[in-house]
Amino acid sequence: MQKFNYSIKEPEGLHARPAGLLVKCAQSCSSNVKVEVKGQTADAKRLFAVMGLGAAQNDQLTFTVEGSKESTECAKLKAFCEENL
Amino acid sequence: MIFHKKEKSCAIYAPVSGKAVELSQVPDEVFSGKVLGDGAAVIPEDGTIVSPVDGTVATVPDTHHAYYVRSKDGLEILIHVGIDTVDLKGEGFQNFVKAGQNIKTGDILVKADLNLIREKGLNPIVPVVITNMDAVNRISATKGIMEAGKTTLITYERK
Repeated sequence: MQKFNYSIKEPEGLHARPAGLLVKCAQSCSSNVKVEVKGQTADAKRLFAVMGLGAAQNDQLTFTVEGSKESTECAKLKAFCEENL
Repeated sequence: MIFHKKEKSCAIYAPVSGKAVELSQVPDEVFSGKVLGDGAAVIPEDGTIVSPVDGTVATVPDTHHAYYVRSKDGLEILIHVGIDTVDLKGEGFQNFVKAGQNIKTGDILVKADLNLIREKGLNPIVPVVITNMDAVNRISATKGIMEAGKTTLITYERK
């Protein structure tokens, strides 16, 4: 299991577009990907769940990646966050 | 009416009055490229946005520009009012609902000031997207003139 934290820089937070792109990135991973914010956890592969978090700017997201390719996929998700969120 | 088919076709109604177009015509690749899921879009003639199904309001963002509704049969439907309207930070949107509340088809979700959206240089088109496409076998979108809460926008077959 791999974990990393990321603080949202986008002023609008995790709204439909970035959330959609994040879910697409998570869906491309074979690992189980969970994202947690303010004590609430969501399956990062489900847009409905991710948008339900209502994550705003400066909120800290904690990603948990679990699977046989977790190291590379964790790095991929981290790179995605740096670029898009 | 008299004959009941085994595979029931269900409806998502138009959330706003206007002209329905294909999702691929929305000038935002997150919608047109079906990144979020499949559906349809309505070019609005009126700013009153209603629930397209009977169900529950799942999320209401502070910016009141996008609503998530879960239908009674478990479809997750995103109704996004305009493109890049998140930038308005709620200006021009009057919210009518709260997360978790039950709603009927035609109940008002939000009233949007279409003139203000256009004045800000934004496109008020309303994409309606099923984001859990794994729950349906197939969908079909209707084009043409729509009346909010009355005209069928999308028909789908539940898995």
